Amino acid sequence: MPSKYRNFRNSVPWILLFLEVVLIILFYFLFSDNDAPVSTIYPAFQDVNHMVIFGFGFFLTFLKRYGFSSTGFNLLIIVLGVQCSVLIEDSLGLLLHKREDEDAAVSMTAVVISTGAVLGKANPVQLILMAVVEIIAFHMSRWINTTFLEVLMMHVHLFGAYFGLAVSSHFSEPSPRTEKNASTPKSDLLSMLGTLFLWVFWPSFNSVLLENNKTKAIYNTYFALAVSAVTAFVLSLLTAKDGKFRMTDIHSAVLAGGVTIGYAANIIEYPWIAMILGLLASGIAVLGSYCLQRCLHPALKIHDTSGIHFTFGLSSVLGALAQVVLLVLKEWTESPRLHYLVMIPIGAFCLTISVALITGFIIGLIVNLKLFKTTPVSKYFEDQFYWEFPHLAVGF
Amino acid sequence: MRFKFSILALLLEVSIIVLFGIFVEYNEHSASETLYPVFQDVHVMIFVGFGFLMTFLKKYGFSSVGINMLIAALGLQWGTLIQGFLHRKGEKIHVDIKSMINADFSTAAALISFGAVLGKTSPLQMLILTVVEVQLFSKNCFLFITNATDVGASMTIHAFGAYFGLAVTLVLYRPGLKNKHENEESTYHSDIFAMIGTLFLWLFWPSFNSAIASEPIYQLKAIVNTYYSLAACTVVTFALSSLVDQRGKFSMVLIQNATLAGGVAVGTCADMPIHPFVAMCIGSMAGIISVLGFHFLTPFLASKLNIQDTCGVHNLHGLPGILGGIAGIVVTAIKDEARQGDRFSPGMQAAALGSTLGIALVGGALTGGILKLPFLGQASDQNCFDDSVYWEVPEEEKLQEIHANNYDGPSRFEATM
Repeated sequence: MPSKYRNFRNSVPWILLFLEVVLIILFYFLFSDNDAPVSTIYPAFQDVNHMVIFGFGFFLTFLKRYGFSSTGFNLLIIVLGVQCSVLIEDSLGLLLHKREDEDAAVSMTAVVISTGAVLGKANPVQLILMAVVEIIAFHMSRWINTTFLEVLMMHVHLFGAYFGLAVSSHFSEPSPRTEKNASTPKSDLLSMLGTLFLWVFWPSFNSVLLENNKTKAIYNTYFALAVSAVTAFVLSLLTAKDGKFRMTDIHSAVLAGGVTIGYAANIIEYPWIAMILGLLASGIAVLGSYCLQRCLHPALKIHDTSGIHFTFGLSSVLGALAQVVLLVLKEWTESPRLHYLVMIPIGAFCLTISVALITGFIIGLIVNLKLFKTTPVSKYFEDQFYWEFPHLAVGF
Repeated sequence: MRFKFSILALLLEVSIIVLFGIFVEYNEHSASETLYPVFQDVHVMIFVGFGFLMTFLKKYGFSSVGINMLIAALGLQWGTLIQGFLHRKGEKIHVDIKSMINADFSTAAALISFGAVLGKTSPLQMLILTVVEVQLFSKNCFLFITNATDVGASMTIHAFGAYFGLAVTLVLYRPGLKNKHENEESTYHSDIFAMIGTLFLWLFWPSFNSAIASEPIYQLKAIVNTYYSLAACTVVTFALSSLVDQRGKFSMVLIQNATLAGGVAVGTCADMPIHPFVAMCIGSMAGIISVLGFHFLTPFLASKLNIQDTCGVHNLHGLPGILGGIAGIVVTAIKDEARQGDRFSPGMQAAALGSTLGIALVGGALTGGILKLPFLGQASDQNCFDDSVYWEVPEEEKLQEIHANNYDGPSRFEATM
């Protein structure tokens, strides 16, 4: 019986142990003790940790038979990625300020978002490889942005979403008649738990890395999220066929406001601007899910399990756009430098998105080699493939 | 429901944004930044805690969490505006972390009332209830802000929200639900989900009671008192829960709700120099009245007084809230306490309690009257406590199906390919 199923005993433990040993050795050589006092930022750091580990872990549990893997693999990837991330930052030596921990947790968001696109389709080996490569690629793009363009913006959501979509384009599509790519009331509620955690802690996420204007970022995110939650309910009702709320819309659209406002949270001066952005973000997420799933994704043969394209991808594009517009309006009087000022964020945006798409595409090719024992289409979205089920052990 | 709800919600949202555009500014030089972690805790309580506490009904989980979020998100914007108008100095409203905490607080009252009418109202009715209640709540708070103390808001939030909700549910009385509706019960899983909410509320309650304390020393006192009161209350609840049952078993409803009563009851006097043992006494008393309330009072209210209180908010928020108000009167009578030059007197505390209950009951009854208007799309008696009226609900998975699939020959064959 076991031989019929793909056995990960020979690959996963050894890859993980090898990576961990390498990380420990590198930490020994590269890391020096940091004598900085315990920073006042610790509560915000905890909030970001809640978001990334608890929030995203449960956000992804909406599939009816993939809950174990969603939360479990999420945790695995994050702890692995945080260590890699700290190491890369330290060895690149690009960050002058000593705030590695928060930085690492924030940049892991990119990886977690990407896993959302291949949720249920990739096996642990593929996920581990994807996480390690993505975190390296993300730091490269960020390093280029900070050194050459002097943009401190993280672009985490943008990078994560488009990297994930590019990887996902290489996985074969699940058959449309499969029952497993669906949710139950229970799994939807669990997913709502994760969504609420993301929603509640988003102000911390948007403000944790800022040097100044921290409180302004908090206020803006708070109001944008509130508006986007209300709008999500309205639009979900309007776009649904029979005039009922749809849980998937609520999951994605309430968060869109936080993603969008992330780009300009510290420069928006008045709450009403933030609120309008929240409204637009929620609109773009609901309408995006309506259009993309009907037209764009089938045409490009992309299957996006948890809808990260409209939750994180489109709303971060909107955020980047809003940032440029706000910058133009603010610096309108200084016309000679205006071109230059506008070109820099646009350049950083284009760079991030192209790095994400290219590396994602290459990684997608690599992890789908026969070597990595790709999951067969019929076994997509199935926990039993990777986990022991004590109460369902019949026949396995 | 589709267009009425959408139009009303959009209209409210747009007018709120316009009002924000005209009146609201950020307060750049506020010293309230240290309150931010406390604000996050309160935020978790409002959205996760209250939301999941109400998921105990077997077919009403989506609405409990979802509509909870809708009410809170709308209420906090509206609350920011109303409280800003009442407290503003000059033309503009200045927003800082403290006003964000207060905005979250004002939604708590609406959420408690939502608990009383849970399952019997449409989202459209809840929008109207939220707007009216947040407004009345802010006015009531403003009435006795300088003369009485209520740091953990036992009276202003909990008692107010509970009695408002009870008055609404009395006016909206449905004779058809006299004999228990088939969906008005919990399942094993829905009780576990509700326990998530309870635990988050329990954990963060000290932050809730200390959030608006005026100075760090009082904040610390509030945290310590709430902590011990909650602990004592929980132990007493377990004991009594076993005692009131015929066979001595625990009841999950009581554990979910009555364990929190200690946090409600200690709220009013949390920041006063009461000894922790007094806090523990208050907590124990709250546990006792809450358990007895669930066991004896709720059935009585439902059968004799026509008050159908779905979540039992009367026992969790109403009675412990009044107990908190009385404790406040006693403590101010015994000890001389003053904050920022104002001396608290037992008379003022009693007046505050009275005005809260009065405004809540009258306001609730009037709101109930508005909600009864026929075009607001009230669900029929059969459709109560059912998500599928307002939500697209996926199919429940049967356990047999999973087993059947395991033996499923063809799919296993495919896996080997």
